[in-house]
Amino acid sequence: MAGKATSAGGEFLAGCRDEAPLLLGVIPFGMIYGIAALAAGVPAWIAQLASAVVFAGAAQLVIVQMLAAGAGALPIALTSGLLNLRHVLYSASMAEYVRHLPRRWRLLLAYLLTDEAYAVAVLRYQRHAADTAQPDDGADLRHWYFFGAGFTLWAGWQLSTAAGLLFGATIPAEWELDFAVPLTFIALLTLLLRERAGRAAALVAGLGALAFADLPYKLGLVAAILLGLLAGVWTGHRLERVERRSAV
Amino acid sequence: MSTPALLALLVVVGILTFLYRYAMIGFFARHELPGWLHALCRHIAPASFAALTASALFVHGGDVQFAFDTPRPWAALAAVIVAWRTRNVLATIAAGMATLYLLKFLIF
Repeated sequence: MAGKATSAGGEFLAGCRDEAPLLLGVIPFGMIYGIAALAAGVPAWIAQLASAVVFAGAAQLVIVQMLAAGAGALPIALTSGLLNLRHVLYSASMAEYVRHLPRRWRLLLAYLLTDEAYAVAVLRYQRHAADTAQPDDGADLRHWYFFGAGFTLWAGWQLSTAAGLLFGATIPAEWELDFAVPLTFIALLTLLLRERAGRAAALVAGLGALAFADLPYKLGLVAAILLGLLAGVWTGHRLERVERRSAV
Repeated sequence: MSTPALLALLVVVGILTFLYRYAMIGFFARHELPGWLHALCRHIAPASFAALTASALFVHGGDVQFAFDTPRPWAALAAVIVAWRTRNVLATIAAGMATLYLLKFLIF
């Protein structure tokens, strides 16, 4: 983690340095995305453009997976739109640290607010006040750290997408590298199933995806996710009520 | 999907994603996130990945097929076990792909 950086450039570089280890996990994702996009018939320039415009790895993998399964535009937009809603949480969590900044800074940092940049930047902000790298005039330069972390992840994502697209064009279909996408979903899902309400959400959504499989354009996925959300919220409420009762 | 439709889709998803990210540090910077939205957001990722995994493994062209005579469901099972034991994303992907190749080579 960063020591004391007392200039904008120092904060920026500290952000880059602290984000760098996370690229180890991000680069394979970017390459899998590029390879799977080609396999789904997405033109390479559009796949690369998506990494800049959407800039959200999980949602991009979902889009590619659904395109390969022949889904329509509306279900794809709804599913990836739902999945990305979690960014509102990050935005809310960052608000107290960046709300004083000029709008152009907030626009830039919002664009760079990914899972991995959030994880690194929020730690910088939460570190104790004595370590906040404020120069003698008292100016807070930590948004440069956030910018450095976000920029590093952005560059890593663009380059790994490009590498996947270059590499993917030379890989024969028999290698079935598109299977890496559902495997990625399995890995992420396992990490996420820590609480009971989340497990209920996943179970109902998974069964729902099978129950509604025959809905056109993969709209069944949207229905399944919405049902899963309801199940998760309902289970959370029930558990809270049980806890409160046993506490009395 | 045609190229213009795909481009339009990506631009819509991109704008939506940016609006989510800007919402609480831009539009509503002086507001708290409502409790119900907070509760909902926590379950989005597990619900989405579960639905997508089930669909990718068992839905083929609108039909539910438990094709246990093909290598993919078994490779997915190996991935689930490794994910559970290691909680490591790369190890999970590697185990799933290795099992897929092994089964294709040996059995299917």
